[in-house]
Amino acid sequence: MRNWMLAASAAALAITAPALAERGGHGGGHGGGKDRSAQVERGGGKVKGQADKGRGHAKSEANRGGGKARFSQNVDRGGDRGPNRGHNKAERDDHRSAKAVRVERRDDEGRGRGRDDVRVVRMDDDRRRDAVRVRDFDDDDGFVRRWGQHGFARGFVDGCPPGLAKKDNGCLPPGQAKKWVGTVLPTAFRTSSLTGPYRDWYRDDDRYLYRMGPDGLIYRVNRADNLIDALIPSYLNDYGYYPVGMAYPSPYNFYNVPVQYSSYWPDDDDYYYRYGNGAIYQVDPRTSMIRSIVALLAGDLAVGQRLPLGYNTYNVPLDYRAQYYDTPDAWYRYNDGYIYQVDPTTQLITAVIRALV
Amino acid sequence: MRPTRNLMLVTLAALAITACDNKAANDTAATPEAKETAGDKTLAKGIPADSKLAAALKAAGLDATLAGPGPYTVLAPDDAAFEKLPAGALDTLMKPESRADLTALLTYHILPGTILASDISKAIDAGQGKTVLATMGGGTLTATKEGDSVVLSDGAGGKAKVTQADDKRSNGVIHRIDGVLMPS
Repeated sequence: MRNWMLAASAAALAITAPALAERGGHGGGHGGGKDRSAQVERGGGKVKGQADKGRGHAKSEANRGGGKARFSQNVDRGGDRGPNRGHNKAERDDHRSAKAVRVERRDDEGRGRGRDDVRVVRMDDDRRRDAVRVRDFDDDDGFVRRWGQHGFARGFVDGCPPGLAKKDNGCLPPGQAKKWVGTVLPTAFRTSSLTGPYRDWYRDDDRYLYRMGPDGLIYRVNRADNLIDALIPSYLNDYGYYPVGMAYPSPYNFYNVPVQYSSYWPDDDDYYYRYGNGAIYQVDPRTSMIRSIVALLAGDLAVGQRLPLGYNTYNVPLDYRAQYYDTPDAWYRYNDGYIYQVDPTTQLITAVIRALV
Repeated sequence: MRPTRNLMLVTLAALAITACDNKAANDTAATPEAKETAGDKTLAKGIPADSKLAAALKAAGLDATLAGPGPYTVLAPDDAAFEKLPAGALDTLMKPESRADLTALLTYHILPGTILASDISKAIDAGQGKTVLATMGGGTLTATKEGDSVVLSDGAGGKAKVTQADDKRSNGVIHRIDGVLMPS
């Protein structure tokens, strides 16, 4: 542990090093933010003329992690009840030509295997594994389980995610975390995949990796230089929305809108958008004041997890009801820009079917 | 929230066009008609502008949420419902220092997705007389039926009845209720 801390300190001194400078132009780097005031990073999808404006990962056409374009293709449900369900995922990912062809629905909750390039659909395997794990959860909770600061409320030792606690790497106290920006992601976290709904919100793409760090922070790592370039708070505190009028917390002041919304809310000159504590906020670019809440994210549903309390009721948006309706074989539930498929018998969420925005 | 609204509408229209093309989003101009149509039918527009609920949503910055893509299901207490609160309670909630409490209260009235009265009814039947509903605020509501009406019970032991269901909007649905629900 001491070694990487020393390395981190050394790297922290070089935090404004050229490695973080933006590449500019097409597929512009994130680092443009460093040239501006404060630690604000601009990201998003709008081309505003000047080539030197930093743009987050959401911008690039070929390899955008987000965007509605990939989901607007018809996900044909005709033959997908039963064994063919996995095909939907192949269609979802076909825009990412470079690497990932399909998505692996892993439920390993932080004990990931680090195969971030090639992922394989394993619907049935996952379900078998999921069925074993789900018995740990207690259905009698009076409240919908939320992905809190340390993931689900159970299974954490001393506030650390189980994978990390077992490896005895310890957890960083909050506030130390921002010193990680500009440093190399420690080996311990290179395989820690995102948990729960975050796997559908922040997807590895050609430019960035997302890994779950200590204390429930998500680290965005730039593939080119392997440096952490952004932190995203992953906790969804109950009732903990940032209030309007407060300054958006600076350690997280990077473009971090979840992928399914990134084309809807890109940054531009007048408006920045930031995710945190279960909502997407509109933030003033100059003062970082939170002006309004543009979206609420429940963070309740995730593939591989059990359908939580409070989701027995069908809630698919009207425009999609003709296509996704409950049958004895499959239920559909909406959350945070996605429609999820549920196995009614096991109550397991088996697939993300499509994104709406 | 004029600038927000315009931005929302422009991006909404731009995205609609882009979706047809199956290309990545570019800047495309929105027709004035498209803007107006999209803007008038949102959840935000479905709440009377002079109502206590509208004022509370605006104070909490949630009016923008209800003008966005959603979709959400809004349980909308009418003015009479707010008047049933203890004297001064709403005034206190509207103060800047109570913003977190106000946001918690309002998000307890916002549910994820689009839930129609018939959906709740079916779930109640399947649940042998009741069903639990998740809210964006994190707590849950329990729905039951009294005659033909849906009744919602909150975390504090209170109840409210749906007086007018299924006001379908472009980004969700509004059910008007006769009480303010309390998370705890």
